[in-house]
Amino acid sequence: MKLGVVKAYMLKEFRELIRSRLIVIVYLLPTMIIILFGYGIRMEVTHARTLLIDNDGSKLSMELAAKFEHSKYFNTREMTVSEEEALHRIKTAKADLLIVIPSGFERRLLHGVRTEIGVFIDGAFPVRAQTLAHYVTGVLYDAASRLSLHPPATLISLNVRNLFNQAMRDEDAIVPGLIGLILLVAPAILAALLIVKEKEEGTIFNFFSSPVRKSEFLVAKLTPPFLLHSVNIFVLFLWATWLFQVPFRGSFILYLLAAELYLLSSLGIGLLVSIVTRTQIVAIVLTVIITIIPGFLYSGMLMPISSMSGESKIEAHLYPVMYFNHIVYDSFLIGQGLDSPKIRLYLLILAFYGTGLLLLGSVLMKKELQ
Amino acid sequence: MRTFWALVAKELVAFFRSWGLVAVVLYSFTLDIYIAGKGIELQAKNVTVGYVDDTGGGISLKILSRLHRPEFRAPRRFLNQKALYNALRNREIMVGILFDPEFERDYDRNGRATLNILLDAVSATQSYQALQYLQNILLDLSDLNLPVRLKIHKLFNQNSRTSWFMSLAEMLSVITLLGVILTAAVFVREKENGTWEMMLLMPVDSRLIILAKSFSQVLILMVGVVLATGLVLFGAFGLPINGSLGAFFFLSLLYSFTSAGIGLFVAAASRSMLQVAQLAILIMMPLIFLSGAWTPIHAMHPLLQKLSLLSPLRYYIEGSESIFFRGTPFWDLWPYFAGVLLLGGALYLYGFRKIGRLF
Repeated sequence: MKLGVVKAYMLKEFRELIRSRLIVIVYLLPTMIIILFGYGIRMEVTHARTLLIDNDGSKLSMELAAKFEHSKYFNTREMTVSEEEALHRIKTAKADLLIVIPSGFERRLLHGVRTEIGVFIDGAFPVRAQTLAHYVTGVLYDAASRLSLHPPATLISLNVRNLFNQAMRDEDAIVPGLIGLILLVAPAILAALLIVKEKEEGTIFNFFSSPVRKSEFLVAKLTPPFLLHSVNIFVLFLWATWLFQVPFRGSFILYLLAAELYLLSSLGIGLLVSIVTRTQIVAIVLTVIITIIPGFLYSGMLMPISSMSGESKIEAHLYPVMYFNHIVYDSFLIGQGLDSPKIRLYLLILAFYGTGLLLLGSVLMKKELQ
Repeated sequence: MRTFWALVAKELVAFFRSWGLVAVVLYSFTLDIYIAGKGIELQAKNVTVGYVDDTGGGISLKILSRLHRPEFRAPRRFLNQKALYNALRNREIMVGILFDPEFERDYDRNGRATLNILLDAVSATQSYQALQYLQNILLDLSDLNLPVRLKIHKLFNQNSRTSWFMSLAEMLSVITLLGVILTAAVFVREKENGTWEMMLLMPVDSRLIILAKSFSQVLILMVGVVLATGLVLFGAFGLPINGSLGAFFFLSLLYSFTSAGIGLFVAAASRSMLQVAQLAILIMMPLIFLSGAWTPIHAMHPLLQKLSLLSPLRYYIEGSESIFFRGTPFWDLWPYFAGVLLLGGALYLYGFRKIGRLF
């Protein structure tokens, strides 16, 4: 390998990146994704638009209504409309939740007769509906156990310690996973583009017919995306810790090392894509298809790997994103570092993926027209 | 009119000749939606539980026997707290239950006891749901003697199936994405090949050309929508349709023109397909972000709530959810139609004038 050739080729790549303004995308896109998704995905439910119909109007029913009014989870409006009218409001998406306290509520309660409170929830977004149902149950049980004349016979309560994410913040749960997604998609697209662009414009024949060797070509093509996205490793870390206030409990060196190894495997994916495609647009679409979906599904962002079963468990183990994200989540939230044998193993697997994919790509790539 | 249909036919032929594009469109409208609906599971399922049991085993076994599929996986026993904690840190289990002797003693003596739980809260939503399940199980076991009962109706999706919601949301994003990219591609490909000037110099009204070109892509989109609705939404996931299907298709048609309008703008602003891809991503992401697909709009920052009024996707998503799930009567859908029509009209007109003013 001639270093002079590599250097000249690499300089050309950098210059072209800057001239074609592709460099803007290289830095704008990851930041945009982490900010939009970091703020955009909120699973926690607050300020649910609640309608409360109190058909009883007694002291007890008002006390119960007040419980809903003083909660940050509900934006309660008490209304004197018919049940039908209120349901219509849910149908036109003007309310999320309807609570109906029946008439005779207090009287029946004082006589020790069972009564029923009707709750209607907009179930269009299922997870939100379930969370709301649980909130309502919680408020009601809490109120009822105080109003009740008969104390409960047996009661098991829970003393829960939330590990690693005490406040159960959505940011802590999602932002580290986004790093794994971004560092998978962005470098792969860039690496694929740099090679396919030459194919589409026909300038790849310069390489075919020149004495530049395949290894020199690959090093020159893949080093710019590697270096540029190495900066993004730091940028994303800063967004996570500074903007989203995600704690960082592990070792930065481990995070950096894992991220660089992971970058190699993303570049490998980009290289493989560039071998099978001929036009830039197809290269982009193909990279997006094979990286974004697994990047989301197997990131552990939405669903923990331990809950997976069957095919999805096998598929999760096939993609490098699972191994990287385990290390990222550990570095941010748990902080075991290299003490854990699992993390040492995963780091090895990442190294294996990085070198393996790149080797495969360089073997499959031919210095001639296919 | 004949010229118009000839131009539409030309674009359709061009589309079917590029088999790569056909494959991508088909994939997006079928398999992609299927994978999203099947794969993205927000509901906690198969939660892994570990426990340490230092009691005689009366009440603890009773609780453990209630942890079963589909919510929980069979609980794993650990010998001591340290092993349990290690498994939590390695994220092998999500919930750790500690049955200690005091728990059993308290329970036997006066019927009240506190159970210690260690919860891996890294994936916050799922952990919270696992906790809900546990709480419900314990409430079930306890004899509360409550005089009040709740009757909860989850309207429109009684069993809380995530696949219904996810597949619909994914289809709507696919329509947006393809609408923009396909339309922009038709124009930019001509630009790249240098034939766009020729098109504009033909003895045909250039407005007719632009209209025909974007209409052909809207046609392709609509075929995709019908395919996806029939095969994936109804066929694979069995979505309910509580409103009128016609209204949904009509809304989709209007929305397709909207995204075609964005495509026109993108095409006017870019010279190569690469720039189209970049611009499309830059425009699409805020659009999707502000649409309320993931965060309900009333839970956003007030400023963002105002901004979201500008995202045509917002009206489309809310409208489609209303048609499929809420079964909103046709005449109550007017805000969604008005929103899509207004924003779509403005965007389309703007893009239309921009691309026609090329030279």
